[in-house]
Amino acid sequence: MRLRVCATAFAFLVVCSSPAQGRDPFRDEGRSEPLPPESELDPAPFIAPPPDLYYVTDTYVADVVATSGPLTTYTTTTVHESTGSYARTLDTVGTGASSIYDGSAFNGRRALGDGRLVAGTYYENYVLIDAGFVPVSIVFFQDDAELARLLAEPTPPGKVVVTPPPSPAGTATGLSPAACCVATPQWPLAIPAPAPTKPIRPGISLLAASAPLSTVEVLRGRAVALWLRAFVDDREVPVRSWTLIDGEAGDALVTAGAGRVPFRSSWRRLAPPGAAYHVVFRIDVDTPETGHRTVNGTIAVVVRSPALQD
Amino acid sequence: MSWAQDDRGSAFVLTLLLAPILLIALAGVLQLGALRVAAARVRAAADLAALVAVNDQDDAELARSGALRLTADAALVAREYFARELGLSSPLLDRPAAEIAAAADVAAYSSAPAYDARTGARYDRPTVRIAADVPVRTPVFGALILRPVTMLHVTAVSSPR
Repeated sequence: MRLRVCATAFAFLVVCSSPAQGRDPFRDEGRSEPLPPESELDPAPFIAPPPDLYYVTDTYVADVVATSGPLTTYTTTTVHESTGSYARTLDTVGTGASSIYDGSAFNGRRALGDGRLVAGTYYENYVLIDAGFVPVSIVFFQDDAELARLLAEPTPPGKVVVTPPPSPAGTATGLSPAACCVATPQWPLAIPAPAPTKPIRPGISLLAASAPLSTVEVLRGRAVALWLRAFVDDREVPVRSWTLIDGEAGDALVTAGAGRVPFRSSWRRLAPPGAAYHVVFRIDVDTPETGHRTVNGTIAVVVRSPALQD
Repeated sequence: MSWAQDDRGSAFVLTLLLAPILLIALAGVLQLGALRVAAARVRAAADLAALVAVNDQDDAELARSGALRLTADAALVAREYFARELGLSSPLLDRPAAEIAAAADVAAYSSAPAYDARTGARYDRPTVRIAADVPVRTPVFGALILRPVTMLHVTAVSSPR
């Protein structure tokens, strides 16, 4: 009897049972169940660089040739900056030594006064894309010095010539201490003062072969082409490249280019009355006569617009 | 009451006498307004022609000196555009637009400073000046024993500033 009562009670409980009426914390938000956690996208697969590649932390800026008395040093300036690129060392060459990478660096490899190539290191720059690490450019970091050059090719004492690259794409890091080739002086200490280097005079003209101008009047919105030129002793020397470094560029699409390409722009905004836009270009010259040097050329652009008079 | 003291019908007589005067005054006002519109259009034509001529610069001289100079045919350009713009108002003109433009005094001062012999003005920039006499039809004035053609004198001066 007792067993029957217990079985009946158990059966009654089983039949009358219902789910527990717990509070639904998401009822007020119109949904009964919390949303499943959003599936997180797989992060980009990490591609480890090859063992000889390293992340660039110092970016190439310019080649520097500094002259101090009889000593001429060839160095490279960098800026501590990460551009997201990678680099690896290709070759380290000594003074006068040839390399299979000669001629492949975008900034070139200059020569000493006696014609030997300067010492330094070639680096190859890489960028990481979906397909992996892709080489983009080769840069040469020069690191050399000489003493004898001044006797044959005098340069003003204390003169520093900075020669930036034609394009700012070059990056590298890890400057290795390349072999410096300071030769043992073979002459007496009293060295005559070198004659000054011939100055390079910049010129900006509206045509490739017209007179250089310091001021130009342009009509508002009229497209004009400014040719960047350079002269040594009133003789024109080829311009390697140019870069707009200051001033109102107007509607110019390109602010740097090769020497054979003019700066093209148009100005749609008038300068204040009596004022002009002073546009400054850095002109890069690299000839056997002048070496790799830069000069700044400025032109004042006066924008005018046809108007009625009383 | 005698007939002299009878004022019946006086309003009719007064209206009959004043209506022509009012109509004449109204027509004169309308004609004067039309003349002002024609003058504005002629002046705009001269202004636009001068602006177009100034906008045509001598590129060779600009490359040589860096200064804006008018082209050698600036006066011809101004005269041509003056004729074209006047042609849009030909119904108002008493003579063909080309004939009016051909008779206009168009001067182009390529270099500055320059002095205008006609007006005595000094120009500090290359300037184009158009001075023209434009005959405009004014038929209402003609009907009112005035001149049926009114001569408009326009002058437009433009230079790059």
